[in-house]
Order: sequence, then C-alpha cells, then structure tokens
Amino acid sequence: MIELKNIVVKFGDFEALHNINVDVKEGEFFTFLGPSGCGKTTTLRTITGFIEPVSGTVNVNNEDITHVPIEKRNIGIVFQSYALFPSMTVYDNIAFGLKIQKLSRQEIDRKVREIANKVDLSDDQLKKAVSQLSGGQQQRVAIARALVTGPSIICMDEPLSNLDAKLRVQLRNELKKMQKDFGITTIYVTHDQEEALTLSDRIAVFNKGVIEQIGTPNEVYNHSSTEFVCNFIGDINRLGGDIAGQMKLDEGKHHFIRLERIRVNRPKDADELQLSGVIESREYYGLYIKYYVQVGSQIIKAIEKNDGINIYEPGEQVTVGIHPSDVMSYDAAPEAE
Amino acid sequence: MNSKARSWFKPELLAKTFGIAFFVYLFFGFMLLPCLNTLAQIFTAKNADGVTDPLAVIRFFFAGNMPSYVWNSLKLALCLVVTVNVVGVSIVLLTEYFDIKGAKILRLGYMTTLIYSGVALVTGYLFLYDSDGILTTWLYGMFPNMNRNWFSGFNAVLFTMTFACTSNHALFLRNAIRGIDYNTVEAARNMGAKPFKVLLKVVFPTLVPTMFSLTVMTFITGLCAMSAPTLLGYDSINPEIVRLAGSSIADEAFPQARAALLSIILAMFTIVLLTVLSSYERKGHYLSVSKTKAKLVKQKITNPAANVLAHIYAYVLFIIYMTPVVMIVLFAFQNYPAIRSKSLNMSEWTLINFFGTQDYEFLTNRGKYRLRENSISGLFANADTVGGIRLSFILSALAAALACVIVVVAVNYIFKNKNKKRSTVLEYSLLFPWLLPTILICYSYRTYFNSSDVWYVFNSNLYMRENVRFLIVMAYTVVKLPFALRMIKAAFYAIDEELEDAARNLGASSLVTFLRVKLPIVLPSVLAVFALNFNALFTEYDMSATFHSSYGKTYAMVIQNMCAEEGRDGYNVNASGRRCASTVFIMLVSGLILYLVYGVGARDLGDRLALKEKRRKRWEKFTGRFKKEKGQAAA
Repeated sequence: MIELKNIVVKFGDFEALHNINVDVKEGEFFTFLGPSGCGKTTTLRTITGFIEPVSGTVNVNNEDITHVPIEKRNIGIVFQSYALFPSMTVYDNIAFGLKIQKLSRQEIDRKVREIANKVDLSDDQLKKAVSQLSGGQQQRVAIARALVTGPSIICMDEPLSNLDAKLRVQLRNELKKMQKDFGITTIYVTHDQEEALTLSDRIAVFNKGVIEQIGTPNEVYNHSSTEFVCNFIGDINRLGGDIAGQMKLDEGKHHFIRLERIRVNRPKDADELQLSGVIESREYYGLYIKYYVQVGSQIIKAIEKNDGINIYEPGEQVTVGIHPSDVMSYDAAPEAE
Repeated sequence: MNSKARSWFKPELLAKTFGIAFFVYLFFGFMLLPCLNTLAQIFTAKNADGVTDPLAVIRFFFAGNMPSYVWNSLKLALCLVVTVNVVGVSIVLLTEYFDIKGAKILRLGYMTTLIYSGVALVTGYLFLYDSDGILTTWLYGMFPNMNRNWFSGFNAVLFTMTFACTSNHALFLRNAIRGIDYNTVEAARNMGAKPFKVLLKVVFPTLVPTMFSLTVMTFITGLCAMSAPTLLGYDSINPEIVRLAGSSIADEAFPQARAALLSIILAMFTIVLLTVLSSYERKGHYLSVSKTKAKLVKQKITNPAANVLAHIYAYVLFIIYMTPVVMIVLFAFQNYPAIRSKSLNMSEWTLINFFGTQDYEFLTNRGKYRLRENSISGLFANADTVGGIRLSFILSALAAALACVIVVVAVNYIFKNKNKKRSTVLEYSLLFPWLLPTILICYSYRTYFNSSDVWYVFNSNLYMRENVRFLIVMAYTVVKLPFALRMIKAAFYAIDEELEDAARNLGASSLVTFLRVKLPIVLPSVLAVFALNFNALFTEYDMSATFHSSYGKTYAMVIQNMCAEEGRDGYNVNASGRRCASTVFIMLVSGLILYLVYGVGARDLGDRLALKEKRRKRWEKFTGRFKKEKGQAAA
C-alpha cells in the first residue's frame, strides 16, 4: 500500500531522516512512535507531500508519488491543532475540500451529511462555529473533513496531544472504532507509547532520524530489538553488574528486565535467580503499586497488582525473583553510554 | 531553454514582478526622493546675490529667532510629558486600580478624547475658554478686571493638549493595569507591605514598559503639535513650517529652505527618540510568569481623608473632560442668539445647525433692518461644509483602503518569505514613514511635486489644482502604512501554519488558500485598521493644513475656517452653531466606528452565530405571542 524506500530528508546541512524504509499494508493502523525531534512528523509530512525528500521514493499502490503535488495525492490529514478554519462553520469546514473539487451543491450536501452522521455530528452542530464545539467534537470535525473527499490513506499527527487525560483515553477508543468502521489505512504519529501500544496494528519506533524497530505492539514491547526501544517503551530495570554476574549474563552487554516480570515474594522457580531485598519505598497507583526494592547495591523496581494480598511496607524483607528468559540483552550501544 | 522562456509568462511570476515594481516605485517615489529633496533644499539655498550658499540657512538659524521655535516645541513636549503622564496615570488608577464611586461613568468621561480629537477638540475648548467663551464670559461677569484673552499661548496649548493626549493612556495603560496578576498584590500585602508600597514596588514596575512607550509617544506628539498651537497661537515648529511653506522670497530670506531645516530638525528628534524606544523595547520586559492570573480587585483607599481627596480629584478631572463635550452637544441644538450670547435657552431647541437654512435679519449701521436670505445654514445645508465632509470622506476612505491593501499584500509576502533578507527590506521600507514627522512628508510632497520635472509622475505638477487631492491621498496612505503594518502583521501571526497546510492538503491553490482561509481570519483586523485609519484621517488637520490648497479643503480645514468666520456680522453668522454641530457629527462618526471595531468587529464566528440564534429565538417569541393573541382574538 504505502512504501517508503530509502528516504533521506535534509534541512540545510542537518539530515533529519536517514534512509527510512517502511511498508504499510492496506487497512493497517500504523504508528510512528518516538521522542520529539526523532523524525516521525517529518516522515509523515514526506508522505503527505509537504516535504520533498533529497533521495528515496514514496510509493502508494505501487505508484511513485514522490513528486506528485500535495493536493493530488489523495491523502487526508488530521493535524495536531486540527487546523479547523475558524472563519467557517463546521459544515463549511467539512465541505471545503468538496467545493475545491467543484462538486454540485447537492452532492456536497449529501456527502457532508453522510460523513457527519458517521462521525456522530448532529445537524445542529454542523451549523455551529468550530469555536463553539468541545475538543472531542472538534476532533471529529477534523476527521470528517479529512475523510469526506474519500482519501485512500489518512494521516494523523498527534491528534490527541492537546486534550486532557480523560478525554484522550475516551477518544483513543473512538478513533480505533472509527478506523475499523471505515477500514482506511491510517498512519498515526505520537510520542505517547501507551497510545501507540493500544491503537496500532504495527509500530515503527523512530530515534534520531532512523527507524529502530518495526513490529506489532507485543514484539516492540516484549522483544525490543534495540536498547533504545526497550528503554523508550515502558518502564524498565537495568540489571547491574552484581546481579548480571550472579546470573552469568554476558559482561559485554547491557541487560534489562520489565517491572512486571520481577517476582516479589513468590516461590522459587527451577531456573530462576532469587535474591533477597528490602522495600525501600513505594508509589501507590490505585490499580497497582510500584515498589523500589534495595537488592545489594541496586534498586530494583517491581509492580504488584493492588489485590490486597501483596502489600508490603517500607523496610520489609522480601525476595526478588528474576527469570533469565525475561532478560533482554543488548550490545552496549554508544549512545546509551 | 524554451520552458524557461515560457515560465516568465506565469501569472504568479508576473504578479510578483508587478508587486516588487510597485513597492520600489512607492518607496523611492513617494517616501525617499521627496524627503531627500527637502534635505537638499537646505544646502542649495541661494543668498541675496543669487549664489548658492550651502551653509546660509544654518547661519541664519543661529543668527535669527528660529531656535526659539525649536525651543518652544521642546518646552511644550517636555511639559506635556509631565502633565500628560500625571493626568493619564491618574485617570487609569482612578478607574481601574482604586475603588472610586461611579468609576464607570468617570471612565466614559475620561475616554471622550477617543471620539473627538484634533481640531474638533481644540475648537471645543475654545468654545469654552476663548475670550468670548462660556466660561470666560461667566468668569468675566464675576471678575470684571480679568484678562479675557487668558486662554492663549503656551498655557492654553499645554492645558488643552494635556487632556487631549491621554487617549493612549486610557487604552494601553488600562490594558497593562488589567494584566496585573492580583495574586502578586495579595502576596505583597501578605508579606506586610502597605497599600502605597504595593502600588510603588509591585504595580508600577509592571507598568514601566508601557509608561516608557507612552512617554516617548507623548514627547513626539508635543514636538509635532499642530492644531492646538495654530488655533491657540503658540509659536512652535509645525505652524512655523506651514507659514514658511506658504511664504515667498520676496517677503523674507529663503523661507522654503528654513521650513526644510525645521522639518529635518523635527525628523532628527523623532528618529533619536524612536531609536531609544525600540532599543528599550528590544531589551525585553517584565513578563508575568503566572499561568493562572487572578483578576485585579479594586483597592479601597482606607485613609478617609485621602479617599475624599481622591474622589474630589477624580470628579474635577471628570468635569474638565466632560464640560466641553456637554456644552458643545447642548449648544449644537441651540439657535444663533443663544450661541452668540453663550447662554442656554432651555425653552428653545433647534436642528438648524444640522439641517436646513434660515434667513438672517440684522440692524445696519444706518439703523435699518436688513434681511440676508438663507444666511444661516446647517451643517448639511452649507455647501462649503458638505464639500469638506465629502472630500474628507472620499480621500480618507481611499487612503485607508489603499494602506490596508498594500499592507495585506506585503505582510502575506513577508510571512511567505520569513527569515529572508527581501522580506526584512520590505518591512523596513514600509516602517520608514514612522521615522519621519508627518509634516516632513507633507512639506516634502508640497515642494517636490510642485513642479513639472518629476519624470516618474509623467511630469505633471501634482500640487496644481485638483491634483493635490491625489497628493493628499498618497500622503495619507504613506503616513498610515507603519500603523497598518504593525496591526496587520500581528493579525497574521495568529494564523496557525497548519491551516495553510490543511487547505493545500484539501486541494486549494495558494491564491484560494489566501482568499478563502487566511483573508477571512485577518479580515476583522484589517477592517479594524481601515476603520481606525479612516477615523483618524476623516478629521485630520495637520496634513491638509500643510498642503494648504483650496482644492484640498478637508473637513478639518472647513472647521478651522468656521472659527475665522465667526463674528463677521451678517455673514455665516451661525458658524459657531455649525462648529458645534460638526463636533457632534464627528463624535457620532467616531463613536460608531469604534463601536464597529471593538464591539461588532471583536466578535468571532461563534459569537456571531450565537447572537443570530438569540435574535431568532427572540423574534420567534415575539411573533409567537402575536400569533397567540391573534388566535385568542379569533376565538
């Protein structure tokens, strides 16, 4: 469907994207994830045509669109700010692209009402100014405006970033549902790993203009292919020399283990390393509790479900179990030093 | 090669080339060259023997009385800085910071200068304080020994301008004070500071940047004062330039070169002051770091004596601001005898000062009554006045529109070419007139274009006959460019860059994006700039006085003439009445424009739709009741 081949983008002397290769399948929800300045938005803007790469090609359905003008690409965008035209009503915002296409008034009206219905915007809301809508409603207008011209792909650039926490979770679910209903190929840009993990079919993790890993949420989380990915996604413990030595792990590598894989006060498994430690402090999250356990010279973080059973007080003696198969090891990358 | 040649005929490229040519023409033709010519006039003056003597004017300057004009202007400017700041800060503190009873009404009084200024205001003051003014007549009745001409010269100019020039304080200082985070005041009080200390140490420092700008602007206003010194008789730079510009070599030594020198001196002062101001502005200001600002709560003056004094002070200021306005409005509806004797006749009111004509019967020297038909005429029945209004209306509307169009196109270009040298050059060339006093621009036009040798205006003399109107429009436009640029540029900053991307993504060309997306967003600001510029130009006096041409007799010039015409028995006897009516008319026009700009223009689409909905509901309720009544009646 969308194929980026060896894309290089430069801003003056600065190389923003080095050799990007991505293959997005039809109907897929594909996320570009990474910290700010990593190149994810630049990649998105290269696909939509706002940026022309120095080298490499952008193919959609096996057709090279690298030099096709923005307006002829038939790719919809939902912007971070939504970019709704403040001087137009909701109706006129959605109808804008159709008017540019010079469709008849009846045709425009039919299409606008059809899409408004699908994204759950009422006739009353269509008559309003965009400033009169809530954040969530504005987002639906932005999506309707991007979809009404019938694009084959929709790109979303951090569309949830300017909403409050509760609304973000609610709209995340709505977004996923809408994408499923429309069945449209979606490219989604975010720096929020939780958003990426919950929404995506596949994720590309960006760092400093290169893609570190492309995979399903499970692959990216549980089998991070680089140290950057494993550090960027989720919280993690880096095992110090003491513990690594006791587990006979490769000394030339860095070793990590996820918090939920640490077994606190559990019966010892056959191939597990069990250490004793003291609860140093705890953070209460409601759904779970995060413990900081002093093990030798290192603090190990672990989480326990808040089920009323595994509750420990600071100063309490506990055992900490680590399964070798849960440890992720990487060659000491220069940037991690 | 072929395709390269064809690309020259692209409409966008043609428009761009035309645009650049236009700006180059405007900048060199109507800003730089005329002013350079004025500068050159100083050094090309000929002495009595007809020989060019580059330093003659400068020698004359130091030998004659010319420095006194400069000194007079400086004295006025310096005194104004003190008085305007005292009154300006007072009116803002009294209405916004201290808890004074009736603050809302006081504010309305203090803001009257926003709807009438310049000649209208000065004639208003004259109406009250002149030798036969209401107040003077009243005082004379009490103190027959007093000097009836007390209201003239320096004191009169200072008094009038002190109250006329507080508009900027009323607008900008008010905003600054309202921007104060009240929590900072509470914090200071909490730490033990007394109210006066809070005012001095917490409130004032946040106002310093605004105060500094206002001080510089007041100084420049004082230096470049025109209408007040002219009408009240004070020998400052500007009236002298106008006098010299109209004088001839037969009467005095090189008048034009002297006028040029005075206007260049004025320009040098302005440039120095504005440089100081902008370097100060660049230093940055105290910015409020607060994310959750608390609204300022008005401070009660706890000391009873101070409270009473503050109230007295507030209402004395209010009376000074309001008396001319109230008197002018009242007398605008009085007949000729009442105006002539400056005593209100409560039983007789008339609209003759606005509409219609009336015969005038008067006693001649020979003791006979004579009738002059239609000699009393209202504002809209007097050919001269209507002509002035019409001319001012057309010229101001043209210039205000032209300035907006030029600036919108330029700012769009500047934003498209951000961080490029050419956009900086364009911006600075449009800000150039800001450095020059208005009189320098007008005087330069008057002398430079008063010849048939300027090739780029097709060798036509633009100062001759009706051509002067074109010159006035150009002067109006050029003078208003910097203000338009600052305001419209600020509006363009409000356009989210993603909007442009969104429009292009939806298939719009850059022209469609500009017309359908960007222009509607900046349009309220552009219209506001148009309205404010129109408002200022409609009653503009300084420029048309500098041009001093019977073909360019604008409304303000007509009003000024009314002052001169008064007192001539039998001729234009109701000039005073028409003058009052004119001021009322100007206040109505200005008030309407300010309402349109700040009331209607400030509404966004959401507000407009909400208002429409409210009106629709009200209408339905009204018609519903009507229908109901009809139904009941039918039943």
